[in-house]
Amino acid sequence: MEKTRLSVSDFIAVTNQTLEYAYPLVEIEGEVASFKVNQGKFIFFDIKDAGGSLGCFMTVWQMRTPIEDGMKVIVTASPKLTQWGKFSLTVKAVRPSGEGALKKSFEILKAKLDKEGLFALERKRPLPAVPSHIAVISSTQAAGYADFIKILNDRWGGLRVEVAHVQVQGVSAPDQIIRALNYFNSRDDLPEAVVIIRGGGSADDLSAFNDEQLVRAIAASRIPTLVGVGHEVDESLADLAADVRAATPSNAAQILVPDKQELIRAVKYQVRSLLPRVDSAISQQLAKIKSFLMEALESVSDKVDDNLNQLAGMRRVLAELNPATVLARGYALLRGVTTVGEMIEVETNKSIIKAEVKDVKVK
Amino acid sequence: MSKSNKTVQEKTIELSELVAWFDSEDFSLEAALDKFKVAEALAEEIEADLVALRNDIQLVKKKFDSEE
Repeated sequence: MEKTRLSVSDFIAVTNQTLEYAYPLVEIEGEVASFKVNQGKFIFFDIKDAGGSLGCFMTVWQMRTPIEDGMKVIVTASPKLTQWGKFSLTVKAVRPSGEGALKKSFEILKAKLDKEGLFALERKRPLPAVPSHIAVISSTQAAGYADFIKILNDRWGGLRVEVAHVQVQGVSAPDQIIRALNYFNSRDDLPEAVVIIRGGGSADDLSAFNDEQLVRAIAASRIPTLVGVGHEVDESLADLAADVRAATPSNAAQILVPDKQELIRAVKYQVRSLLPRVDSAISQQLAKIKSFLMEALESVSDKVDDNLNQLAGMRRVLAELNPATVLARGYALLRGVTTVGEMIEVETNKSIIKAEVKDVKVK
Repeated sequence: MSKSNKTVQEKTIELSELVAWFDSEDFSLEAALDKFKVAEALAEEIEADLVALRNDIQLVKKKFDSEE
């Protein structure tokens, strides 16, 4: 067999071509070791298991969730032989693997974004009370989307709903959701709210909603955001960055629009409550009239009492002036001329006496 | 949309204003009956509108699986 003689560069190129053909993109699971960032741009780390270790290279902007030494991850990478003859994995994406690693990564990113104020309450904007135009970002095949639309249609009508179909799990999900968000945010006729929904799933299924760039895109949205991912117990960083968090996709629909049945009941109640008010106004009016009449009657009665009192007083005065009253007190009435020798008449309470004047003294 | 071209929201606001009139100082028994009839008709219109309204759900044609 004839031996092929190649230059070093050609051998490296041929090896890389072979690798590219055999493993265009491969997923490898292992534990992170020797993690470091150079010049704030380039990331180097090893991925290892009990039997071996592989060097990995990626750029900072490709790192969507934080990782650190000891964390179990899955890298999506292309194997490559460098010009220095070193075998390395050029990493396209890395994601934590297993519940422990996912939780750890979640906590690191949560602390980082929280420190930047992305989850601050003062950043939260209210959703429109009754929107007329909304955007929905979800997978139209997902059960969560069907639940959302059902509840939305049951509760309200007349709404313009624009739906962007995207993947809601997997490596490409965050970028698709970000593109859909950017699409709605760049529209001239901005929707009044953008709703991002996905039904329940495993921690790995929901991990797309803990992607750093997606969380930042949600926080930066011009349109108020409502995020309903997973079940009530699931918490994602997308939830925390949203203006309003819904526990589930169904809950998102409940938050977004009022219930028309409740509104119909409220409207009927409002109108029914008017009749007692009119009745009450009539009763108040009658009571007022009755009160006026009573006042008038009392006034007349008071006047009569005053007059009667006045009359009684005058009677008392008249009685005092009656000569019979004076005579009853022991006084006497004297008639005639009080000159010595003249006859006078003395009237007492009980008798009239004729008498002759015997003496007159001047006081 | 029944009878008038007003939206459900506009009608709801109008009804609320009418209801508020019954509690206001402008209230008069003479005008109350007419106002009540208007409120009753508005409530019926709102109910009819809400029952009839359907959401318009449109799927965006643009694909988001790759950068354009």
